[in-house]
Amino acid sequence: MRAYAEGLVLALIALFALWGAWQVPAASPGDTWAGIVPFSASVALLLLSGLMLAGAARQTAGDTGQDQDNVATLQIIGLFIIALLYQQSFRWFGYLLPTAIVAPVVLYLFGVRSRIGLILSVVLCPLIFHLIFFVLLGVFPPYGEVFDLLSWLQG
Amino acid sequence: MEIFPALLSVITDPSLLLAIVLAAAVGMVVGATPGLTASAAIAMLLPITFYMSPIFALAFLYVIGKSGRYGGSIAAILFNTPGTAASAATQIDGYPLARTGKAGKAMKVATISSIIGDLMGDILLVIGVGFIAAIALKLGPPETFAIYFAAFVVIGSVIGNSIVKGLASALMGILIAMVGLDPISSEERYTFGSFDLSNGIGLVPLMIGVFVLGEVFAQLGSRSKVTGETKENESTADGNSLTWEEYKPCLPHALRGGFIGAGIGVLPGLGSAIAAFISYGEGKRRARNPEMWGRGALEGVAAPEAANNAVSGPSMAPLLTLGIPGSTIGAILLGVFLIHGIQVGPTLFLTDKELVYKLFACGMLGILAYGLIGYFGATQVARLILKIPTNVLYPLIFLTSFVAAYSARGSMFDVTVMTIAGFAGWLMRKYDFNVAAFVISFVLAKGAEETFRQSLLMSDGGALIFVERPIALAFLLVGIAAMAFRIRGIVKERRVAEGGLGDA
Repeated sequence: MRAYAEGLVLALIALFALWGAWQVPAASPGDTWAGIVPFSASVALLLLSGLMLAGAARQTAGDTGQDQDNVATLQIIGLFIIALLYQQSFRWFGYLLPTAIVAPVVLYLFGVRSRIGLILSVVLCPLIFHLIFFVLLGVFPPYGEVFDLLSWLQG
Repeated sequence: MEIFPALLSVITDPSLLLAIVLAAAVGMVVGATPGLTASAAIAMLLPITFYMSPIFALAFLYVIGKSGRYGGSIAAILFNTPGTAASAATQIDGYPLARTGKAGKAMKVATISSIIGDLMGDILLVIGVGFIAAIALKLGPPETFAIYFAAFVVIGSVIGNSIVKGLASALMGILIAMVGLDPISSEERYTFGSFDLSNGIGLVPLMIGVFVLGEVFAQLGSRSKVTGETKENESTADGNSLTWEEYKPCLPHALRGGFIGAGIGVLPGLGSAIAAFISYGEGKRRARNPEMWGRGALEGVAAPEAANNAVSGPSMAPLLTLGIPGSTIGAILLGVFLIHGIQVGPTLFLTDKELVYKLFACGMLGILAYGLIGYFGATQVARLILKIPTNVLYPLIFLTSFVAAYSARGSMFDVTVMTIAGFAGWLMRKYDFNVAAFVISFVLAKGAEETFRQSLLMSDGGALIFVERPIALAFLLVGIAAMAFRIRGIVKERRVAEGGLGDA
């Protein structure tokens, strides 16, 4: 079942890539088509997905062992959602506020239960990262469109 | 002989020396920490190097890579947990030695053998790299494309368990690299009207995502499966020292391992793990005491460790002379070269020869630095690693990956790319796709496309140009032969496994 799923996903990716390559306009006379490499790679990927599906068909059934890592997978998907929200919130709230919120959440996910530790992370994580990257290295911090804690702190 | 002035120049620069020693220590800790890899550390530190001079940045990351390869042996010998894939070969004899109270002795053998192997690799690199670069200058686009093709096929088919998944990973890397404007005609590809996508996918956020955030996801997943506590195996009073009489039988194995590692290192994609296991197998075959191998033979530590580290230097040869990274660390270093506006390839030896030899000199001094730290302080490093609270470390790495991805270009789009690449990297690992092939192919794709299309223009669109030119044909055949050998190997392994089951 898993092998079928892998083959199908790969086939879908290949078809999508093939469609994308097909959108590239034709080459001007004397030039090479800009879509030739994406097109060739997509076709090769489609062939490989076909091989995977053929291999899956040959596999004997009965390898459907109980999936023991469902909880871990759910935790990882949870962390991925947090990661997506975190990176998006840079655009809305700048760097400091999202980091102050996400730091204890991620520490908790990884098993940190010390209340003092979690509270300290709210202040220390944004402060230390801000000092290293935005003060010492001189990177310009992302500006929050809705509310920027750094701007507010700086008056 | 350019290496001697370069060595002198580095030795007389205290800040560069300090950076080398720091990198050696960082690499050792990272390599010895199970779950952390030198690739992840280098990817995470990559944005910081934007603010350093090119030689500082390259030397710092290059030495972390070297030291990280060695650091894997610390965890393998002392905790029975290989810090890197290659150190699994060291573990076979290293851990039994540690259990009998000879952890210190095993560590010293690992350290000396690593130094021998690494120095052999670097010396061969220094001798051979100019020669390879001179040949590379004479290659035309069809020959260069054929080398790229061979690299894609070797990287896709040789690493990992599945050829199909390896090649699929390589193709996905190529497709991701195609996003953006075509460098020749400026036509948009896979941009779907997005301005951000028209600039293409950045190497730095992709690497941070795949190697760093992907690893954090994987660590969260494996946290629930970990049982028991890791304990250090301490040495007995006489198990900590190493005499010349004890190391003497190890020396031929270390030297042979050095040559095996250097030979494998030149070939793109094969890497340390393959070199270490081949060296172990070859060492056992030639050993006077093969019955002791696997039960705690010092020679069984020397052979894989020397090969593992000997890969490091020669793996830089295809990167520096052809622009083809032979390993994930090479791919990241290519990023550093590009960030600092240095064009990697045969012309590098005409434009930035001094920088290249200074980098080699830094590598050699890095070997001595990690050798000294390892010989006298490996057990202290092990104790430090046992004290690192992983439940705090990985959340910090998680947070660092975001700010590091942002720092690269000050782009929020890069942070989004990093986040998605992290999840994709975890998915690829989970479903046994080949992350290394994906990243290396991503890096190679642009150069391969350029040479492919230049070749087509040279021949008015005819693909026969790749077959008509003997060197190009030879490299195409090398790629096909590598895949054929791999298929043959897999079929043999399956037959042996089926035979074994049949006998049971």
